[in-house]
Amino acid sequence: MSTPPPGEEQWGTGEPPDDELLAAELVLGVLGAGPRGDAQRRREAESAFAQRVDAWERRLAPWLLDIEPVAVPDRVWTAIRAQLGWESRDGARSGLWRSLAFWRTASLLASLAAVAAILIGRVPAPGPQPPPVAVSPTGAEPGAKPVTTLAHDDGSPGWLASVDRTRGTVLMVPVPSAPDSQGRVPELWLIPPGQAPRSLGLVSIDKAHTVEVPADLRAALASGSVLAITLEPPAGVPHIAPTGPIIAKGSVRI
Amino acid sequence: MPDSNFTNSLAGRDTPLEMLLSQVALGNRAAFEALYRGTSNRLFGICLRVLTDRAEAEETLQEVFTTVWRKASQFDAARSTAMTWLGALARNRSIDRLRALPARAALATLDLAQELEDPGASPVQQAEASTDRERLERCLRQLEARRRSLIRAAFFEGSTYEELAARIQAPIGSIKSWIRRGLLQLRACLEP
Repeated sequence: MSTPPPGEEQWGTGEPPDDELLAAELVLGVLGAGPRGDAQRRREAESAFAQRVDAWERRLAPWLLDIEPVAVPDRVWTAIRAQLGWESRDGARSGLWRSLAFWRTASLLASLAAVAAILIGRVPAPGPQPPPVAVSPTGAEPGAKPVTTLAHDDGSPGWLASVDRTRGTVLMVPVPSAPDSQGRVPELWLIPPGQAPRSLGLVSIDKAHTVEVPADLRAALASGSVLAITLEPPAGVPHIAPTGPIIAKGSVRI
Repeated sequence: MPDSNFTNSLAGRDTPLEMLLSQVALGNRAAFEALYRGTSNRLFGICLRVLTDRAEAEETLQEVFTTVWRKASQFDAARSTAMTWLGALARNRSIDRLRALPARAALATLDLAQELEDPGASPVQQAEASTDRERLERCLRQLEARRRSLIRAAFFEGSTYEELAARIQAPIGSIKSWIRRGLLQLRACLEP
């Protein structure tokens, strides 16, 4: 532990630890280039120090909301794509595709935002922060659940599915799409490896919602199973077996 | 403007941003684009606030998002919210860049008396703000005025101890002491 520079006030009995102050100073942004670089390298290398830094970032995070958003010029997105090496693949596509993709993305955002309320309602509010030393999570914290993308044939996402095996539910978040011109409706199927599809009922084309999985099927909510969506006549759901075309599918990730 | 849909992300740990980040970690480009559309304006605001120069802020934002693409798997929903993680990343990269630039022109003299008037948040922002923010502001108000002003100035402008000392024409040792004590007081108030 370093001693404070001359002329500086002492910290009583040596508390609080230097690391706690260093973490706070790193987050606040008051360190000059040299000390800042040193502190960042420690953050990369030492998990105890990284946790202190994380905790300070959380404490001061509400201030980030005070900063007004500023519209980003389009060239930044173009530059990011170029830097990631994506231009060659998608650059040749038509302007229509681009606008369609943009529309779909915007709709996805709206849809995802709508489900935020549901999720926030379900997840307990963060409440008071834990004491700084006990930064580690409670253990019950599930973290982000794995998400299965149910993609169309062209690879674009149709639905995002978040499987909660414990509760036996699947949260379905659609990328909004137009209704079927023939009046058919999307039906969700769970296909365990080597078995016949089992219906999980209808899914929405524009709203996020939770699908209950029958108790006898919950064991099949496992990696290796496939979630697929077909277009079916609205009457008689859930159907015994699919009759229409598969419009989106993806392998379950647990 | 999709940004407004995401400001509530500070309030929950399992919101769409977290879901998008987990998809980005798997290499999902659509999720990355959705994340960009949903957060880039807010993150650009953060970069611009620290750097003030638009070209520098644009380059920094670009760096932030390429980092997000490569390192989304490092996001830990148990330790942070997505918006906190992204915002901190944007602010960190901006301050890094600021430090790498030639010394910036002297910032305006910081008049602590004037800084006492907290610019505050707009009504819209206040409506969006989580209780976390209210708590932070309440705790900040308990600090001695000069500590509060210094901490805010440091946070929003990325000023170093040296710059702050020059701006308020006080010895650097005093500045450090005020800020450090203020930070610890803040922590004690936030986590009694």
